Amino acid sequence: MEVSPMLDAADGLVRIPAEDLRTLVVGAALFAIGAIGFLTRRNLILLILCGELMLHGVSLSLVTFGKLQNNNEGQAFTIFLLTIAACEAGLALALVLALYRSARSLDVRLWTELREADVALAPIDAPAAVAASSYGEIPKLTPAGAEPAELPRRNKPRK
Amino acid sequence: MSGSEQLTALLQNNSVAIVSMALWIFGILWMMPGRKVTPSRGVIPGLVLTLTGVAGLLLSFNAVYADVSEEVMFWAFSIIALVCATLMITARNPVYAALFFALATLSTCGLFMLQNAPFLAAATVIVYAGAVIVTFLFVIMLAQQSGAAGYDQTAGRAAPTVLASFVLLGTVSVLVSMAPPEISTVPPVDDSLRLAGAATAGEDAAGTAPGGGASMRIAPVDELLAQEAAAAAAAEANKPEPVVNLLSRATVSHPVGSMKGLGRSLFGDYLFAVELAGTILLIACIGAIAIAPRREEGAL
Repeated sequence: MEVSPMLDAADGLVRIPAEDLRTLVVGAALFAIGAIGFLTRRNLILLILCGELMLHGVSLSLVTFGKLQNNNEGQAFTIFLLTIAACEAGLALALVLALYRSARSLDVRLWTELREADVALAPIDAPAAVAASSYGEIPKLTPAGAEPAELPRRNKPRK
Repeated sequence: MSGSEQLTALLQNNSVAIVSMALWIFGILWMMPGRKVTPSRGVIPGLVLTLTGVAGLLLSFNAVYADVSEEVMFWAFSIIALVCATLMITARNPVYAALFFALATLSTCGLFMLQNAPFLAAATVIVYAGAVIVTFLFVIMLAQQSGAAGYDQTAGRAAPTVLASFVLLGTVSVLVSMAPPEISTVPPVDDSLRLAGAATAGEDAAGTAPGGGASMRIAPVDELLAQEAAAAAAAEANKPEPVVNLLSRATVSHPVGSMKGLGRSLFGDYLFAVELAGTILLIACIGAIAIAPRREEGAL
């Protein structure tokens, strides 16, 4: 296996090869973009996706460091990262379901009780009007038969 | 050299990268939804700015792979990954965001492939294929019921966030490019040590394990400890070696990312961590089932 040529800086120290440096910067850029999305967007599902994007950037950096070191530890670490990311995604989607059940919305600004006391409450817009469908008037089926009777709930919601 | 001179030199040496990042910033800010619901300004100008910025940032490294096909693949994968990531965080429709996320993930897997990680690329594709499908289901189930929602058409304060994130990106890039030799290239270990150990082990095991060649056999622990001691002695004789996990190091016959090398690392050095990871998966599974709403409680 050949070792990629190294870049000698002016001070004579051995630097990271420029091709691998490029890949490291791509990883860092993925992390930065994911961070921007996580901090600005308001959809809970989009926040999960942005977190995953940040993890991709970290994985890319770890793999590149492992390649530089001629060591499999970087890739082993990334496999663990993948495992934790799967756990995180599962738990986060379950949380999103629970939050959606309470608020009937995916807006993250509905959940600002844990803010600092001196920070102003973020504005919550009124529920947006349903956008007009681009298909015009959609035909509906004629109602037929009797209204279904509502079945009694077996269990009362727990207090 | 004083601090201001250093800063000036840094800015002059990296002017192409800085200008590219500025273009990229403007592209993101152009496409990002505002704080109030406004109609989209059109994706094309932002897309052009983003493409120029990403290409300029990558060009500023002034590096090429020795292999032309690798170079072409690197450019394709990194540009698709970064542009799709930008489109994903600025998408006004969560369905499009999930689609762009899938594209960015696939391109990242291509970059894994270029960095000698074929197994990781395959594993990531398999894991995230399921993840993206589930995300699609959630988006269709939850978000699309009420049409275009107001919280998808607006975003928080974009400008300070984008600026802070790109300052982070620039700082990381500069620090990495000035990385000390310790995290720089390390040549692969000569596997004469391991081969010698495996050869003696093969002689020992020849009677008990017919058909098991020396190269296919996983060495028992005491042998590995002996190898490690030998490696430590050899390292002390030559120069200090910071790496202690002997099984994880790539050898000439098993370079980085080979299935055998990765398996030895995972199930040798990190066996306990693998068991822990399985436990964590189980706990997360239990937690998700506990948190997710149930129908009897009037959910969904």
